[in-house]
Amino acid sequence: MRKGLLAAGLAALLTSGAANAQTLNVATAGDQNMVDYIKDYLGPLFEKKHPGVKVVAVGTGPGDGGSQKIYEKLDAQKKAGAPSDFDVVVVHQKAAGTMVKEELLKKYRDQIPTGSLVTRETATNALGTDVSGYVMPMFHSQTAIAYNPDLVKNPPNSYPELREWVRKNPKQFGYNGIKGGMSGVAFVAGWVAAFGGDAAKLEKGPYDPAAKATWDKAMADLKEFNQNVVITPGNAGTLDMLNRGEIAMGPVWVDMFYTWKAEGKLPPTMRLKLVTPGMPGQPMYYAIPAKTAQEKLAAEFIALATSPDVQAEGIVKRFNWYPGIDAKNLEGKLDQAAWKQLFSDIPPETLAANGKPFPIGPYFNDILEAYERKVAN
Amino acid sequence: MSGEVHLSAARAQTLGPRGAARERSSPAAARVWAFGATALKMLGLAVFAFLLFGPLANLALWSVAERWYAPFKLPVSYGMRYWEVVFRPTGDAMSSLMTSIGIACLTVLVALAVSIPAGYALARLRLPWRTALMILFLLPQAFPSVAIYINVARVFYGFGLTGTITGVVLVHAAHGLVYSVWIAAAAFAAVDRDLELAARNIGASPLRTFFTVTLPLAAPGIMASAIFVFLESLDEFTGTFFVGVPQVTTLPLLLYNASMGGNYQIASITALILLVPSVAFMFVIERFLKADVLSKVGQ
Amino acid sequence: MARPSFFGLLLIAPALAMIGALFLYPLGYSLAAAFTDPQGGLSLVNFGKAYEFYSTDILFTLFIVITSTLLTGLVSIAIAGILTLGETPWLVAALRALYRWPLFIPFIVAAQCMRTFLAKNGLMNNTFVALGIMEPIQATSLLDWRGIIITFVWKQVPFVTLMLAGAMASIDRATIEAGRNLGASRLRVLVEIVLPQVAQTLLVGLVLSFVTMLSVLSVPLMVAGSQPTMLTVDMAFRINSYGDYATANALGVISYAIAGTVAWIYLRHSVKREVQA
Repeated sequence: MRKGLLAAGLAALLTSGAANAQTLNVATAGDQNMVDYIKDYLGPLFEKKHPGVKVVAVGTGPGDGGSQKIYEKLDAQKKAGAPSDFDVVVVHQKAAGTMVKEELLKKYRDQIPTGSLVTRETATNALGTDVSGYVMPMFHSQTAIAYNPDLVKNPPNSYPELREWVRKNPKQFGYNGIKGGMSGVAFVAGWVAAFGGDAAKLEKGPYDPAAKATWDKAMADLKEFNQNVVITPGNAGTLDMLNRGEIAMGPVWVDMFYTWKAEGKLPPTMRLKLVTPGMPGQPMYYAIPAKTAQEKLAAEFIALATSPDVQAEGIVKRFNWYPGIDAKNLEGKLDQAAWKQLFSDIPPETLAANGKPFPIGPYFNDILEAYERKVAN
Repeated sequence: MSGEVHLSAARAQTLGPRGAARERSSPAAARVWAFGATALKMLGLAVFAFLLFGPLANLALWSVAERWYAPFKLPVSYGMRYWEVVFRPTGDAMSSLMTSIGIACLTVLVALAVSIPAGYALARLRLPWRTALMILFLLPQAFPSVAIYINVARVFYGFGLTGTITGVVLVHAAHGLVYSVWIAAAAFAAVDRDLELAARNIGASPLRTFFTVTLPLAAPGIMASAIFVFLESLDEFTGTFFVGVPQVTTLPLLLYNASMGGNYQIASITALILLVPSVAFMFVIERFLKADVLSKVGQ
Repeated sequence: MARPSFFGLLLIAPALAMIGALFLYPLGYSLAAAFTDPQGGLSLVNFGKAYEFYSTDILFTLFIVITSTLLTGLVSIAIAGILTLGETPWLVAALRALYRWPLFIPFIVAAQCMRTFLAKNGLMNNTFVALGIMEPIQATSLLDWRGIIITFVWKQVPFVTLMLAGAMASIDRATIEAGRNLGASRLRVLVEIVLPQVAQTLLVGLVLSFVTMLSVLSVPLMVAGSQPTMLTVDMAFRINSYGDYATANALGVISYAIAGTVAWIYLRHSVKREVQA
């Protein structure tokens, strides 16, 4: 019995342990489609250009939790004095800021040819932390309200209209609170920006600890609003309930929304609406850990990933993400159909006007804590 | 409530020959009664099977659903597209599965190797702080794993154990130890002491007695504990991530991502794949599973 | 029992070393974080915060885990009882073949199955509507505390039943026969004769289940919305959103104390029994 087990164990390990000449380890936070993107598209493309190199992609889970795991791993490695075993990491804004502050990342953007192709503010500023030089945006994502046009003929255009709509249609709107993923967090951040006073200050700073006192009314209203909504289990939970027609409307990530639609998990008639005064979005960043042994290869990988061709073909056309580098660099690389498809529900001008960054770090935490204290309790 | 009705009805039926004198009912009434009882039992079983397999049917349906959305009650179109995705050349479902099975087998060996002596000591020898020791083995189950594994990873970097199979196996084994230690202790406690004494009386050494009498008698219980350790290891995500990734990737890592992200098709297929080794292991172990040892678990 | 105890300690040493190195030592860091204030002094400030923010969730967690444990116990007794005392061979055989399947389903998969099964327009309600048992208008979503409990019970019943049925099969059949011959119903035989003999196994199964349910993250995260929610979700949230290990660890200590208390009560109880016996 035991020998059998041992043999089975060893045999299984031998088949999986084949060593490669050179491996580039990429760790990515986010949903499965992020891993698939690297495994199926970017990895093979890079391997073709660099014979003998194998790209290994590992997913660490959706949302800030996934990025946090990468951070913890790099931090543990630093504290143990060990070299990092990830060569490229793909993380959210919050973790990127922390990693830069704790010197876990390398400054590389100025050394790669695509470094100058992005001018958007989020490439240098991650929730109030200066990350210039340390990161390249992989893609931008945006939250928006998804709705089922069969059930909602005239979707609300703004947060106040949405509030009114929910009052008239109880339990038809659903979001995932703040503990189940970022789409709910984004909805709450948007709520505070809409009803809590100085929205510009939330995005730009400076941080004023007294500001949170001015949100009391907004939070009390949100608590009342919550009486008439469905709290869904997670980012996927909201989409899931939209899928089964249990709710008619809810905040979602635009990229997840398109993926679900493409995979036949949402009615094909579903639409998106980006309400005023705006909802937050954020990029995913490519970064290189400070102590990787494959610095050069990692930089080349990111240069490829942020080149206009890859951004057009991979990010926009295949995965329906907004490009990480400035859109003007993609001109001529894409056919009109793919471009239109990306902006069919949310036109570029709406995106520019209503696509907001998340509040800066300290406000972000204050909003979450205020929610826990005043709304969830 | 229905359970009681169900039981007494069943009893009335089977009491038939024995209780005929007591229950003065006509044969026709008895037949109706028996028929009703059988119908009730079948209904009960059907409800039970539905509750048991309903959620699993969902899993099976999603694994072959290509499109499924409201207002349709069943998938709009079926296909094997996502099976192809899981088994595509660049996906590493199969190699992850093999790693998972390998790690689970080794974890079982390590856990048993340390818990057989420990179980014996807890069952048969006078130990100080016995209660505290038993609770100690329970704790890795109870404490939130993330906080622990971050620190384990930190310690392991010092020994070069991160990214190795050994490291992952150790972490899994520590987590599964509660099952193997508690159940092994029970198994040893269930062994009849008189048999050991008899062996000793005819001149066998303590060690020989242990290996020829005690251990074989306790083996079924120890095997039973193996299945829980095996399942625990096959299911583990957090420890593998902190200690094993990126060099060691197991199937639950794939599953976790797909499941959390609502990637139902991929997650369902991965889960179905993961079922195979679990069920296979169960069948292997089943032959060793004897009832009597399980009665002493945790004493 | 008169053998020297150092031999016993020697035998248990490897297992203890393993727990020590892989659990207690890392746990030390966590405990230190839980009892330290931001300035580095020893304090209970993190517990104050944990209580202020999550007192409802602590009660909610206790409610969920205790209810699930009790229900798991009841269902397991029923199934194991039918397996042991049932006199309809086909029923017993079918039940024996069926009941243990959820054992092999990881929690995260169970959570995912349940999310689509128990939903308002999920497979369960759809089946009921299709069978004419229920009107579509009556369909309600079970994706709240009920969903968590159902998932836990669904997943843990096979585990407890497996142990319980084993224990029941090994008790002296003569005691059961004696009871039946005296005219006792099977329910009475189960409650008055069989259960007392297997109480120990039942309790240990339930204690292990209790502790397991306390530590599961995926089920409360995926099955139910987050208000209120279980402590595991709060811990993950504290770490992922704020990088706040101190409060997360304080919550961990609370969860740890709950598990330890249950285990301690159980073991005290079994020691007493041993002394009496």
